[in-house]
Amino acid sequence: MHTFIHGTGVIAPYLPGKDNPLPAPDSQPRLRCIEPDYKQLIDTRLLRRMSRVVRMGTAAALTSMKDACVEMPEAIITATAYGCTEDTETFLTKMIVQNEQMLTPTAFIQSTHNTIAGQIALMLKCHAYNNTFTHRAFSFEHALLDAMLLLQEGEISNVILGAVDEMQDTRFKILERFGLYKRAVQQGPWGDPAQRDSPGTIAGEGATFFVLSTSPPAASNICIKDVRTFFKPGDMQPNILAFLAEHHLKPSDIGLLLWGKNGDARYDGVYDETARGLFDTNPVFSFKRLCGEYPVATAYATWLAAFILQGREMPAGLLPAGLQAPGHVLIYNHFYNIHHSLILLSAC
Amino acid sequence: MENLIQDLKIQIIDQLNLQDLTPQDIGDDQPLFVEGLGLDSIDALELIVLLQQHYDIKVANPEDGPKIFHSVKTMAEYITAHKKAA
Repeated sequence: MHTFIHGTGVIAPYLPGKDNPLPAPDSQPRLRCIEPDYKQLIDTRLLRRMSRVVRMGTAAALTSMKDACVEMPEAIITATAYGCTEDTETFLTKMIVQNEQMLTPTAFIQSTHNTIAGQIALMLKCHAYNNTFTHRAFSFEHALLDAMLLLQEGEISNVILGAVDEMQDTRFKILERFGLYKRAVQQGPWGDPAQRDSPGTIAGEGATFFVLSTSPPAASNICIKDVRTFFKPGDMQPNILAFLAEHHLKPSDIGLLLWGKNGDARYDGVYDETARGLFDTNPVFSFKRLCGEYPVATAYATWLAAFILQGREMPAGLLPAGLQAPGHVLIYNHFYNIHHSLILLSAC
Repeated sequence: MENLIQDLKIQIIDQLNLQDLTPQDIGDDQPLFVEGLGLDSIDALELIVLLQQHYDIKVANPEDGPKIFHSVKTMAEYITAHKKAA
């Protein structure tokens, strides 16, 4: 049974479009989302309590529902590794500054990881299944797996699935001190991370939502066939071959490999070792060129894969030369060589 | 009293993050909850904290809440009365 994509909503540093410039870091090694006018999407009375990550998630979810012409979802599943840390920071700061006196409830209420899923449900008055996965860099993959299993049970016909993480200033400063990001940033578009050879990466962020169903939509036939996670797997080649074989596919059948190279010389070699001998001749694209590195970046990759599978126009020269309309797109990502995952999308 | 009402409006807008409103948009007698500004129970808690933070006034009896927080004017009257008492 396939899981079809009926609608999408995405807020990211880059969306394909004629006039949209490729994402470029500013003075810091980070890519920032291009955000919509939230007042056009969300009631201003609700908006005033929402922190940035909640706005991003809620707006992306509503956009995906509009895209799919779904007014009331039958399940809401979200993924986030960091959650709503801006609100956490707000109420913790108040606790310190105000000596634990006269604390207000709003930031505390909004600080939990499931705020976004809860906010969507409250807005829609949706009492259906509601779950949030916070499994670091497996968050989106496990949320996707939950959505697919839920749909395959056959009791519901659609699911809203989304993944959200923002890069806020405090977290950026802390993670930068850990050496996660590049020390020097070149001006202009970031370019292909595969060309980078220094330690550290470029931080990213994004909110990506899908409306999924087991019935094919009228307008397209893009489906998510499978998702798999591997914790510290060592050699990934046998895992990839077994994963593809389950779908009667060989590496040569993959029309496009979207891999998670992020320009960090300490970890990008893992991709090269894994691909060597398997995907030597396949078109390959580093999706983090467009969204930066963050734990649920594979949600953006999934959206990008669906976008490409639909044959929608990408800027000239961005994708690998000679890329034909791919029938199958494989997403391979790892997060610091700890969390490895595979997602397979096809034109069914 | 007029100055206090003006200050309160600014503080309410700031505390409740009412981004689209200016002090002129809030009537002195306009109900703050439900049909007026549309505030809710979470906002009520924020307003109680506002009184404590800015005016050092604690609302001792929760049953007084609807009267105190009916409008900006009733809040100002409560503050004035209790400031004098203090």
